[in-house]
Amino acid sequence: MVELTLQALFSGLLAGGTYATLALGLALVFGTMRIINLAHGELVLLAAYVAFEMERSAGLNPLASIPVALVVVGLTALAIYLAVSRIRTDRELNSLLLTFGVAIVLTNLILIVWSADIRSTSSGWFLEGFVIADTLFSMRSEVVFFGVGLALIAATWWWLNHSWLGRALRAVSSNRDAALLMGVNPALVEGLSFVVSGVLATFSGIAIYCATVVFPALGHNLTIKAFVITVLAGMGSVPGVLIGAILIGMGESLTATFAKPSLQELTAMVVFLLILFLRPRGLFGRR
Amino acid sequence: MRAAPRTPLVLAVLLLAYVAVPLAFGGQDYVMSLIIAALTIGGIAVAWALLGNLGGLVSFGHAAFFGVGAYVSALLTLDAGWPVLPAMLAGGLGAAVASVATLPALRLRGPYFALAILAYAHIFKILAVEFESVTGGAGGLLSIPGFPTVLGLELGSKVGAYCLILTIVLAWMAVYAAIRGSTWGLALRAMHDSELATRVVGVPSTHLKALMLLVSAFMTGVIGAFNAHQISFLDPDYAFSGEWTVLPIAAAIFGGYRTVWGPVIGALAVYLVDQLVFKELMPSGHQLIFGLLLGAMILWSPQGLLPLISRLGLRSGEGGDKEGKPGARA
Amino acid sequence: MLALESVSMNFGGVAALSDVTLAVAEGETLGLVGPNGAGKTTLFNLISGVFPPSSGRIAFAGRPLGRAANWKRARQGIGRTFQIPQPLHELTVRENLTVAQRFGAGKRDEARLDEILELLDLADKQHVDAAHGLALTEQKALEVGKALAVEPRLLMLDEVLGGLETSAKRAFGGTLMTVKERFGLTMIVIEHDIETIRTLCPRAVVLNFGRIIADGTPEAVFRDPEVVRSYTGDAAA
Repeated sequence: MVELTLQALFSGLLAGGTYATLALGLALVFGTMRIINLAHGELVLLAAYVAFEMERSAGLNPLASIPVALVVVGLTALAIYLAVSRIRTDRELNSLLLTFGVAIVLTNLILIVWSADIRSTSSGWFLEGFVIADTLFSMRSEVVFFGVGLALIAATWWWLNHSWLGRALRAVSSNRDAALLMGVNPALVEGLSFVVSGVLATFSGIAIYCATVVFPALGHNLTIKAFVITVLAGMGSVPGVLIGAILIGMGESLTATFAKPSLQELTAMVVFLLILFLRPRGLFGRR
Repeated sequence: MRAAPRTPLVLAVLLLAYVAVPLAFGGQDYVMSLIIAALTIGGIAVAWALLGNLGGLVSFGHAAFFGVGAYVSALLTLDAGWPVLPAMLAGGLGAAVASVATLPALRLRGPYFALAILAYAHIFKILAVEFESVTGGAGGLLSIPGFPTVLGLELGSKVGAYCLILTIVLAWMAVYAAIRGSTWGLALRAMHDSELATRVVGVPSTHLKALMLLVSAFMTGVIGAFNAHQISFLDPDYAFSGEWTVLPIAAAIFGGYRTVWGPVIGALAVYLVDQLVFKELMPSGHQLIFGLLLGAMILWSPQGLLPLISRLGLRSGEGGDKEGKPGARA
Repeated sequence: MLALESVSMNFGGVAALSDVTLAVAEGETLGLVGPNGAGKTTLFNLISGVFPPSSGRIAFAGRPLGRAANWKRARQGIGRTFQIPQPLHELTVRENLTVAQRFGAGKRDEARLDEILELLDLADKQHVDAAHGLALTEQKALEVGKALAVEPRLLMLDEVLGGLETSAKRAFGGTLMTVKERFGLTMIVIEHDIETIRTLCPRAVVLNFGRIIADGTPEAVFRDPEVVRSYTGDAAA
């Protein structure tokens, strides 16, 4: 029982690292522009499929396709920003509908190009076991990308707090007009937040491709998961995203261990609604 | 009053819909199936538009109400021996009851409401899978009874089913128009931009929104029930499929959700063009077109197609309610 | 008619109103004056239920209002205007009044709407888009009209004369007196202009930094040295 619980918590912790990378990109755009990019999961999925294509046609290791994926996903994210920035009225809701449309387009493009088949990496290295202290089991990919996730979170956090652009981004997110007065160009900063979210989406997509399977409809689920974590974390808290992601990861893995795997999603959804109704600021939100 | 000069137009459309369409396509099962499917989506689109325009609430989870309506009606006929038509109404009521669970979401602001309803759709789907003893679980329900024969009209036939869904959709449009034209409709319209001002003159805005949610859920539930009896098969993935959300939104936005006709015209146009043209061109992934359409409408004409046409010259007097036009009302 | 007992309101630690106790008798017209930020509008918001007080009690027509929702208070007979006119968007002037009457007074009475429109000189504009088609004076008149359509017993006017020219102000002041007599109202009037208060209100209450610093006839109140100190600076501005 104790062992089972520890194993579930450990798996949840590792999953949380990947989830955090997944959610941080969405949270970043949400924080700066108050826009929920419903195509975020599809950006993540796009990166995964780029890795798949490079592996299939050029025999590249998934990690080696990161540069190409960065370009593809980054440009797509920028294109989404350019579309969203054209919205003039009721930006909050119209951007939701617009990115919803983009998500449908991307899902179907992926379907057309790579078919509905389930894809996974042929590089077995990632899927091999990794055992800690003889009792806690995991896959190499989980451990690697948990580390990568932590590093990305730390880097993003440092960047937001210490670089000039990062601070400009935070300024825009807390007060758009004041940022304008300070000489910060909101359009530039908002575009940048989309590109950075594309970068984070790329790493997240590669991680998901290495650790599990992908299929066109997965993007929607990824978006939902990212949004659930963002709401749980609360607006504007990078460490909050990490903790929220780990909580969701552990919640799911405990559900899978002690109830059944098909109820995992239920846990996430119920947590999501409870947070919205009882603590809309999230666990670590500023407002 | 405003409707008076439009009566001939309405009559012509009704005549066309009830007489000309069955005469023209009655023998072509495939075409009739497509029209029935388009009207099914049109019916949800009307319900979605009612909630969006009058309640001011954008929902991403109408699949939840569709699925609940379908399951309630199917189970009542299969397990409790109810006749199909009353069971369909009960399906609508079931969806309305289910929407009560979503009422706490009314306190949330726009995007949060939209996604909270989406979460409900996911939860309902999982529950449908898990309560296997009642719902048949992931395997679904088979041989759901079809429609009866009423007054000599065989509703189970393609033409009969067409007349049934047409009647339901027209009824929903009438409800939408009636609410919109009432004092309640005035208050609901005013609430979008001036909620506090409406409240201090005595409008219980949250109650009105809740009511619109219930009405919208009821409408969607009946449509879901219709679909279940028409195809006589149901499983959670199908009943709570995101398509029941995506297609109506695309249709309503395309046709213009602030008008009564817009959602249905949008559904007919979008769905039929998709099935007859794009599905032929690209067998998989043709739904891409819905995404493109949705994005393009949001960017270039968020009020829908009808206002776009009327802006191009055909002044219709309806729709475009959002645009300031001093003195235009009479 | 209206009784406030030790009412206080804090916004994030800042006291907007402190320990306000005030009684308004039936049929009275009370002038509420004081510098900007003194808490006048906050008082209206508390009475009309826009938000609940931090502490204290408010009773209307002998019954405590408790935490009754703002729309319920409208139905109980509390009508108010907003300093910045808030017409009901997307509706015509007449539809504005129709909504207020249907929901606030719980009835449809076209004759009464005609009368209100006539009294407020809005009859010609009744089919105009309320949010976009009105001049400032007409917007102010519509604010009063919406509140009247609710058939209130207490009417709270938040600077409905503010921003008007002297002649318009005098004329509109006269209209308000007519309205009060015609519908037998109790009124609370927020106004900066001392002359207006003198002509409209037999009693004036002065708020400063959220406290009542004077209460009496306008003559007595405006001679009070504390009032002069707090108020003249603002009036001169």
